[in-house]
Amino acid sequence: MNDLLQVKNLCLNIRSHAEEEILKDISFTIKESEVVSLIGESGSGKSLTALSIIRLLEASCKISNGEVIFADKNIFNLKEKEMREIRKKDISMIFQEPMRSLNPVMSIREQLREAYINYKDVNLEHEIIKNLISVGINDAKRVINLYPHQLSGGMKQRVMIAMAIACKPKLLIADEPTTSLDVTIQKQVLDLLIELKEKLNMAILFITHDLAVASQISDRIVVMKNGKVIENCESKLFFQNPKELYSKSLLVSSKYNRKLITNIDNNDEDVLNISNLKVYFKEKNKFLDREKSYIKAVDDISFLIKPSSTHAIVGESGSGKTTIAKAIMGLTQVTSGNIKILNKDILKMTNFEKRDFRKHYQMVFQDPFSSLNPRMRVGAIIKEGLCFLKPELSNTDTNKILYDVIKNVGLSKDSLNKYPHQFSGGQRQRIAIARVLVLEPKLLVCDEPTSSLDVTVQKQVLDLLIDIQERTKISYLFISHDIKLISNISDTISVMYKGKMVESGSTFDIINKTKNEYTKKLLKSVPQIKI
Amino acid sequence: MFTFLLTDIFFYLIIFSLCIYINYVRKTPDIKQTWSHVFKNKTGIISSVVLSFFMLTALLDSIHIKDKLYNENTDQYIYTSEIKSLLDIIILPIHKNSEKSYSAPFSSHLYSKETIKINNKDKRIYPKLLHKGNHNKFSEKNSYNIFLTTLFSFLKTIFIIFLIYVFIFYKKIFKTKDFFYSAKLNKIFLGSLFSMIFVIMLFYDLGSQYYVLGTDKVGEDVLYKSIKSIRTGILIGTLTTIVMLPFAIFLGIFAGYIGGFVDDIIQYIYTTLNSIPSVLLIASAILMLQVYMTNNPLEFENIYERADLRLFFLCMILGLTSWTGLCRLLRGESMKLREVEYVQASQTFGLSKFSIIVRHIIPNIMHIVIITVVLDFSALVLAEAVLSYVNIGVDPTTYSWGNMINAARLEMSREPIVWWSLFSAFLFMFMLVLFANLFSDVVRDAFDPRANKNYE
Repeated sequence: MNDLLQVKNLCLNIRSHAEEEILKDISFTIKESEVVSLIGESGSGKSLTALSIIRLLEASCKISNGEVIFADKNIFNLKEKEMREIRKKDISMIFQEPMRSLNPVMSIREQLREAYINYKDVNLEHEIIKNLISVGINDAKRVINLYPHQLSGGMKQRVMIAMAIACKPKLLIADEPTTSLDVTIQKQVLDLLIELKEKLNMAILFITHDLAVASQISDRIVVMKNGKVIENCESKLFFQNPKELYSKSLLVSSKYNRKLITNIDNNDEDVLNISNLKVYFKEKNKFLDREKSYIKAVDDISFLIKPSSTHAIVGESGSGKTTIAKAIMGLTQVTSGNIKILNKDILKMTNFEKRDFRKHYQMVFQDPFSSLNPRMRVGAIIKEGLCFLKPELSNTDTNKILYDVIKNVGLSKDSLNKYPHQFSGGQRQRIAIARVLVLEPKLLVCDEPTSSLDVTVQKQVLDLLIDIQERTKISYLFISHDIKLISNISDTISVMYKGKMVESGSTFDIINKTKNEYTKKLLKSVPQIKI
Repeated sequence: MFTFLLTDIFFYLIIFSLCIYINYVRKTPDIKQTWSHVFKNKTGIISSVVLSFFMLTALLDSIHIKDKLYNENTDQYIYTSEIKSLLDIIILPIHKNSEKSYSAPFSSHLYSKETIKINNKDKRIYPKLLHKGNHNKFSEKNSYNIFLTTLFSFLKTIFIIFLIYVFIFYKKIFKTKDFFYSAKLNKIFLGSLFSMIFVIMLFYDLGSQYYVLGTDKVGEDVLYKSIKSIRTGILIGTLTTIVMLPFAIFLGIFAGYIGGFVDDIIQYIYTTLNSIPSVLLIASAILMLQVYMTNNPLEFENIYERADLRLFFLCMILGLTSWTGLCRLLRGESMKLREVEYVQASQTFGLSKFSIIVRHIIPNIMHIVIITVVLDFSALVLAEAVLSYVNIGVDPTTYSWGNMINAARLEMSREPIVWWSLFSAFLFMFMLVLFANLFSDVVRDAFDPRANKNYE
């Protein structure tokens, strides 16, 4: 097979910091109809490499060395007009966020029309519909009249793919196309990409941080770290026996050593006991419309958590898992049901009683970038709950607790005087954990605490949580969409689908002996590393 | 005897609360460090020096004095009805006398010809100016005299700066690692101080010999008018902002953060207020005030009090009509912040709504407030000019850039045109607004922890 794309010694820097190279000597090739996966953590330069291939870099970036040869033409020597031709016909790109890559004020028909060379052709309609059907949208005739907000995330990504393959490109660059999608939809999109690749005979440059996803689709793996290519070899060889240490650490970071609790003492009082919880949201009524309609976000959920155990709630986005967390924390109104923490019903407490009781249950949020106030120093952030919920502590006591906790989560003492933006995602999540740990809660609600973090960092944070549990006998309510991760760290699992609890039981039973169709589908969709 | 006008008292209050805030900052290490970023920055130092001179002028102009006169008939001291400010007394040589009509900057003659009898013959000539422009101190030749005066004020400035240096820097009051972190910043501070004092000296020395910025229709020195307008401008800018800010901030945050019923009410209020043309509201308020003043003439001792009340009223009514824009911005922003996770995290700590607003929401909307306030500041000074145009602005006897611009309407349409009134108003307004903008930019950066603070 011929080489379709050659990247040779590509170097890139930012104009204002010319001495610091962001991409260092990147070289790899893509053969015709080959799928190459570019793997690395955030900030490793994967996306920048992709953007330099189609010359869509920001003005602040400058390519200092190297060349990209596509079909025997050096892309960096082409005029902008010629480059546009290539982008139109030969190389297309799919972006990470389908929500943001479609123009919200244009109908699907108009957006797709733009992707064609002969976009002014009136008879294009037929072609568009055929294209949409080929990406698995069967009622294409209806969909082309819709606007992006009327489609689900998976549908949007399909439309994006339809746009990308409209001109039958030779190379498709997919920049984390499945990262923001649910597992079941992720599987559909991956299958679609593989199918289209066979049909159209195109090469794919697949950018991802997820090794399992990469192993499903790719012929060749390129591992990047800090702007360098670390390893470049065939997919099969890579997953059997990675050569570099870093690649190995990527592979093992999805494995956890946590002892499951075997001897749960049934006499202990439950840390959390939820029975028949219902959270309904009122739909906004039209003016003078008496009939009320509800969105049943959480519909009749019951489960309980034993001391020092971990319970996990798994489900797709929109299944109501976060609403449960919010209901427990009192961030949303509960329609009916009981939430008992340490045998006390918190829904019946007065605000004053609740104030004293709140220190027993706390929450870690999903996104560490928005869960810390950017204008407060880390010390003040951690102190906030402490000052409010334990006002009896003296100043020196508080400071001592601060020093202890910041050491416990693995940060240095001087980080207390810094602002959140000076930390990386993983460190921020450690700060968020420290903020609740100072209160010594009995129950910690973790709402996808690692889903916005890189694999290796994810492992560090989870290891920290496991370590804390072993030391302090805390209980976790873990909320996640990732059933693979959950199966590694939790004792019991509840599976949720559209506000209802589909199945609940011990981790072993659910993973190995489930009879429920939805759980089976969920388990099947989880990408496994193919060896 | 000191007299206090209504706006004076409010201006003192502003200065007083500023002092309290400065004292508070000096005692709180965290905020002190944040503010020190402002004074580590070149732009920050220069703009704060310039702004403090503007503030000083306004302050001096707000200390009002009535003269004492000895009445020989009754053998008693009585107070004149004329009110002077401290500033008037300091720059007395500039405004002591006035001419007959227009004269160009640095001119020695009037701007228009007059018929004058010379040797019993009527002649059309440009008459000589009576008080300035013909009484050179150092030399008969104008250019040479200006040069010498400049040199002289330059030397005086060097002397003053030298004194400041000896008294402040030599004693190391400032050098105790307090505000100015390096010798370079000290130089910038001294440099900007030097240029400000030099400009003031120059205006003073030249202004007592020439009409530096010409004279207006009734022969009054335009430089004096521009300087007196500083107080009006700053008052309208600050007082209006202070009236408007509580409405905008609290109503905006309540609407956005609490939502629901409160949101509906506040939205209705500002939509209603917005749909009434603000000029109409201001006009009706000012006209009502005028009716009140004509009906109760005895309540006012003199025209100064009446003019002052009108200025005060204008600030109030401008403040009441201009909060809606900022309020809407803040409502949107707090609605966004309400859903942000760090606010929810504090809710799980059980913090009350009020302390969440104070600790989390207000610091995170402050950048919007600062930007809007500074942009509004210039808009308000301009609004005053527009309102003067329809005769509902400040009192015609009050010195203000708005009145000067308003007068320039006729001056620009006559032939040959009189450009210096508009130019001076523009120059002073431009300086004030520019440096206020620069300063607030630096302050905003200092309070944004994400901004790059490596200025050096």
